[in-house]
Amino acid sequence: MALKDAPIINMVNFDEKEAYNHDRPISSLIRTQLLHLHTAENLWLPPEDRTNININELHTEKQASEYIQRVTALLHRHGRRQQKATSRAKAHRPTKSAKARKKAASAPRKRASKNKSSGKKRGSRR
Amino acid sequence: MSAGLDALKHIVVLMMENRSFDHMLGGLMKDHPKINGLNGDESNPDAQGTEVKVSDTASYRGQLSHDPDHHFPGVDVQIYGGAGFAPGRQANMKGFIKSYATQGTSAKDSHAIMNYFSPDKIPVLTTLATEYVVFNGWFASIPGPTICNRAFAHYGTSFGNVDMNMFLVTDADRARIPSIYERMKQGGQSAKLYYFDEPSSTMEIVNLLKDQSFFATFDQFLADCKSGNLPEYSFIEPNYSDHPGPGGGQLLATDQHPDHHVLAGDNFIGQVYNQIRSISDLWKSTALLIVYDEHGGLFDHVVPPSCTPDGFQAAEAATGVPGLTFKFDRLGIRVPAVLVSPYVARGIVVPGPEDPAHQRIFEHSSIPATVTRKFLQGNDTGTAREKNAQTFLDLLGNTMRADNECVFFGKK
Repeated sequence: MALKDAPIINMVNFDEKEAYNHDRPISSLIRTQLLHLHTAENLWLPPEDRTNININELHTEKQASEYIQRVTALLHRHGRRQQKATSRAKAHRPTKSAKARKKAASAPRKRASKNKSSGKKRGSRR
Repeated sequence: MSAGLDALKHIVVLMMENRSFDHMLGGLMKDHPKINGLNGDESNPDAQGTEVKVSDTASYRGQLSHDPDHHFPGVDVQIYGGAGFAPGRQANMKGFIKSYATQGTSAKDSHAIMNYFSPDKIPVLTTLATEYVVFNGWFASIPGPTICNRAFAHYGTSFGNVDMNMFLVTDADRARIPSIYERMKQGGQSAKLYYFDEPSSTMEIVNLLKDQSFFATFDQFLADCKSGNLPEYSFIEPNYSDHPGPGGGQLLATDQHPDHHVLAGDNFIGQVYNQIRSISDLWKSTALLIVYDEHGGLFDHVVPPSCTPDGFQAAEAATGVPGLTFKFDRLGIRVPAVLVSPYVARGIVVPGPEDPAHQRIFEHSSIPATVTRKFLQGNDTGTAREKNAQTFLDLLGNTMRADNECVFFGKK
């Protein structure tokens, strides 16, 4: 048995060039997508990475898709950078148990306070 | 467990845009009487009170150049015939022309909302519906627009939203109700949302884009199918706009949102199906669900049923319907939904509200509910709505159909 045995149903051909219209005014759905991406840009991207494009001046599907492409790429780039930073931070974090972390956290403080007091003593001796 | 369920390794969901069940599949009832479609006598009154019958004269584009209203107040008109909110009002599905007439159409053009496709005009969807499983009772999750309905497919809730406004899922909500992608990741499983390309991007923008690992393009979907790297769960978004493609090409919108070319979407469904169908190992181990996010303002004759609330409420100011606070206790309008697998018998029709004794009511929460049941057994996150949602994998049986029983789509 193979795919060649499958009954073939033909899809309907149509004139794709004639159907294509990137100057079609954008629907309320794409207008919403623009608004969401614009908000995401302002929420998450640092000011120097933002497009500063006025989305109210985008009226056609081509204009909208250019903006959507740009912001999607920027958001992905920013997200990847953040994920790398998070991974780096995790990699440098000591992997001790909570109990050990608590013990370790309290121990240096005691040493620091001893040093501080001994330092004072040293200082006073000087 | 059935052999089909045992063999299942991948669930793929393709969610299209804005077409009702009757508009796309209603014409099938003539030759397939179990499909709860149109008998030709269904009608709605126009502005003059003249009853206008459904007509199989839907065109691929041009009839719906004014986008039909599918926001909450508009859908309320469509379902209740324009009767304002009052306790005990009855749904009659009589307000579709009335609603479309408010969208800048001429009185005559507003009749186009009653048009439907004859099955031969959209052969991919109608063939899959009759060759595999079609649901008589799959409804949009909310009587409202795209964003909140798609949220139900990702989270099993829209977090109280009934509109297109952006909502940020708080950390507290995310911990309580993580997206299906986050649940899969936490459970050690893989999940991806494949949007068509960057110029089309995704409609799940603000919350999931924080985790890059969930996203890939449709080209990557095709490549992942070929390389054997398809995740356990995949959600595909079609192309939402006509825009230039690589190398000076032209890419047509494939989402079928009015007034995009319906055939571009039909052929896109065929492309997704063919890709899975043509790879033997993938075909045996994949269930493909094709479903529409909401009805897009187009006529359907079935009254949406009640449902388990998801624990949220939308205030009167949010619904836009005077006096109506929405408790997410009833569904939106019926949409086309088709399940494809070699482990389903030919021509299964899952009964809906037309058969109260055997009805199974599905909505978009059924998607995360099904994925959770298959891949994350024991995971207890999700809303009451999702936990009570019907799942669809029990439809997979023990017998795998032979290659000569499973179609492939070609081009003339």
